[in-house]
Amino acid sequence: MVLIIGGAYQGKLDFAKSTYDLKPEDIFTCSGGEIDFSKRCVDHIEEFTYACVQSGLDAVTFFQAHRKQWQDSILICRDISAGVVPMGAEMRAWRQMNGLTCRYLSGEATRVSRIFCGLEEWLK
Amino acid sequence: MTVFLSGGAKNGKSTLAQELAVKLSGEGKRYYVATMIPTDEEDYARIRRHVADRSGLGFETVECEKNMLSCLDTADADGTFLVDSATALLQNALFPRERNYELDLDGAKRCADELLAFLQAVKHTVVVSDYIYADAQRYDAGTELYRKCLAGIDRHLAAVCDTVAEVVAGKPIVYKGVLPL
Repeated sequence: MVLIIGGAYQGKLDFAKSTYDLKPEDIFTCSGGEIDFSKRCVDHIEEFTYACVQSGLDAVTFFQAHRKQWQDSILICRDISAGVVPMGAEMRAWRQMNGLTCRYLSGEATRVSRIFCGLEEWLK
Repeated sequence: MTVFLSGGAKNGKSTLAQELAVKLSGEGKRYYVATMIPTDEEDYARIRRHVADRSGLGFETVECEKNMLSCLDTADADGTFLVDSATALLQNALFPRERNYELDLDGAKRCADELLAFLQAVKHTVVVSDYIYADAQRYDAGTELYRKCLAGIDRHLAAVCDTVAEVVAGKPIVYKGVLPL
């Protein structure tokens, strides 16, 4: 599994498309509490972790339970860790769950890339 | 040569940018492009702090709120330009004062095009931007658009500049090229 992280609008998906030759049909875009692991690439995992916070699901437990399904995937998640502690409890919980998820996935990944202004920093 | 620097607030981007501009300019002219439109005492205090930082470094200040190419009405294109920052230029263009701060997407596009054209028109440029993309917030549509536009400019700049670095705690992480230090 390859993990690609970075701030908003930094070009994470563009990087994934060009590096791993992805077609639009290879990409699943998270918008709620479900993930289609039959697609090669899962984008916007931060939206999945946000849905987890809203529904009370633990994202790390979810990924652990589906471990076999994403072993060859390209997973993309926004880094939301670097601002002021959010005022709202939901945003704080989101930040925590997203951070723990990224840490778990980076531990499992064979390669971790951070994208900064479209350029790759190779973390693992 | 063109250098693009970004990073979080108060990490030393401007200080490093000044150092780079001084190095690049050698004996040539060096210009500080003042981009911020001050609106309150906090802004004026910030300007005073930056002016004090630059004193003795030999920068000539060029006021430029929007069209970067207008700098060349008075400045020598053979000089070295410190543009601090893309963030302020975009703010001036996307929410123009003369239009009562109403959204102007065309203005933002022009701002980006002019900045990129400027890089090609002058000898050396160091451009500073702000990394505002990694916090846990759901912003209003206007702020989100601002972040998206700035990221677009950042990515264009990163693609065309010779050197790209993120400044963290005063130290550069170089993503592309070499810092001329």
